[in-house]
Amino acid sequence: MIVTSGLEKAYKDVKALKGLSFQANDGEITGLLGPNGAGKTTCLRSIYGLIHPDVGSAQVDNIDASKAPIAVRKRIGIFPDKFGLQERLSAREHIAYFAGLHGLHGEERKVAVQRVIDDLDMNDIADRRTGGFSQGQRMKVALGQAIVHQPQNLILDEPSRGLDVMSTRILRELLFRLKAQGRCILFSSHVMQEVAALCDRVVIMVAGQVVAEGSPAELCARTGQESFEEAFVQLIGTEEGIML
Amino acid sequence: MKSVFMTVWLKEMTDALRDKRSLMAAMSYALFGPIMMAVAFMMVIKDAVSERDVYVHIDGAQYAPALVDFLGDRRIFAGDEENTAREIYLEIPENYEENIASAKPIYITVRSDYSERSDGSHRSRLESALREYNNTIASHRLTLRGISADVISPIRIDKQDTATKEARAAMILGTVMVFVLMAIFFSGMNVAIDGSAGERERNSLEFLLAQPVATHWLVMAKAAAAGTFALFGGVLSILLIPLVFVFVPLEKLGIDFGMSWLDQAGMILVLIPLAAFASILQLFVSFRAKSFKEAQTYISLVMFIPVAVIFAVEFTRFEHPALAMLPVTSQHQVLLATIGGQDINWLMVLGGAGVTLAVTAVLVAVVTKMLRSEKVVFGL
Repeated sequence: MIVTSGLEKAYKDVKALKGLSFQANDGEITGLLGPNGAGKTTCLRSIYGLIHPDVGSAQVDNIDASKAPIAVRKRIGIFPDKFGLQERLSAREHIAYFAGLHGLHGEERKVAVQRVIDDLDMNDIADRRTGGFSQGQRMKVALGQAIVHQPQNLILDEPSRGLDVMSTRILRELLFRLKAQGRCILFSSHVMQEVAALCDRVVIMVAGQVVAEGSPAELCARTGQESFEEAFVQLIGTEEGIML
Repeated sequence: MKSVFMTVWLKEMTDALRDKRSLMAAMSYALFGPIMMAVAFMMVIKDAVSERDVYVHIDGAQYAPALVDFLGDRRIFAGDEENTAREIYLEIPENYEENIASAKPIYITVRSDYSERSDGSHRSRLESALREYNNTIASHRLTLRGISADVISPIRIDKQDTATKEARAAMILGTVMVFVLMAIFFSGMNVAIDGSAGERERNSLEFLLAQPVATHWLVMAKAAAAGTFALFGGVLSILLIPLVFVFVPLEKLGIDFGMSWLDQAGMILVLIPLAAFASILQLFVSFRAKSFKEAQTYISLVMFIPVAVIFAVEFTRFEHPALAMLPVTSQHQVLLATIGGQDINWLMVLGGAGVTLAVTAVLVAVVTKMLRSEKVVFGL
């Protein structure tokens, strides 16, 4: 479970977060939706404990991220916005590296890595160096890194960017499977269809604040719009930053 | 937490070992120094020691066959078609024999372009041979007149060189040691850049920092990986020096050069703290850079400082007690003392190592703080 309450963060003269509060529950996929520059990345960085909010707190399973960042990071898996792979290491070595950083060792680590490789159906590329990987293959490696330690909470930052149909399907199936296991999944996006298709709940944020929260259907009903996209436009009050 | 250190170190090492560029850099600096110095020494020795035949133009050889024979004994000959004479002309006058017989001065001319440096050693050999012949005739004449030849040489100089052979070696091989220290600074450079600015360039830095790992372990593991390469370069050059110098006839310069296994082991031990220091210094610089290229630019500027310090101390022979305690200079002194065959003050060695490690620890703390700062990590 991920909870942020009253997050505020200012960079020099720009206020990125202005009292952001929302909750992502276990067993649900929560979408963090907002136009570019809404503060999504800043919000996620506060949850990782990489930046300290000026006011408010981000909590993962009731642990404060700025007070105990390491304990929080043990409970989350991160699929980052940009992920660089080291082209001289194989997919298996990448995943094993992050398993090691999460404290898995020896046989335990080997088993965990193999399980992820099976889950993501990547046995064919597991022992190849990542240098010439396609975007979809790179995504699998990044996903493997994120879930190898079986985190209770999974955070995905713009996960479907640049993915082809097959990769998107794999991602979607994985998210549904994790949800069924009762895990908490939070993902940020600005792609409508993705959010509408995947999320149980959507948190719409604009300019560092939450403007609406609810299931896609609820949001449509609240705004009186038929499509989720129209609902979103009405909620954020501008067409800026929407990618179709 | 030790296991996290090992995980990061192992990964950095695997990556670096697969990177031909890092490997080549580490090897080339280590090989370059000793081999370059060996070749330079070989040239110097060949020039300084070998008594090569000198061919000059001799005009009027027929007037002074005894002198020409004498020169021949000193390997100075008249040039012919096979051995072209240098532009040095020895002119023996027609009246040579007559003047010898009547003990009158003989004017022998040595004509040459004295600004031509390459002929310098040949000219001086010719001139000293002539001087020697002059002295021989003079002492013969005195002896014939019943006077001891000793009266014209009241002072004799007896050169007694108190420099030990090792000390003489140290003077020359000090230059080689400069390259050992440089190998330490250059061998790990690519690994340090790849683990810092490289992570940023690959967009993997933020993700790495979001892992449940205490930042100081991350910093230490990365420094250790770069340091391993730095030390590898240093060790390689230390092992290589005696092998390469086997081919250099140093004994011709009166230099006795030997490095025992114990000497080498001692040197390697001394270099360990320096390798750690060099690596953390490189991480400190390149974590501030946005890209690999930018980091390379910064590092080459910063690496200029230790190199300049080593060269300055080496060539000016500047001495100060503080040098025995500072990073870089303290290690330099130990290396010099070891090959100089001097007694090593192990207390000072420990002091130098301690100071180096302390500075390293401070830099680890500074880099850790940098990586916890939002400003540095996100460039905000």
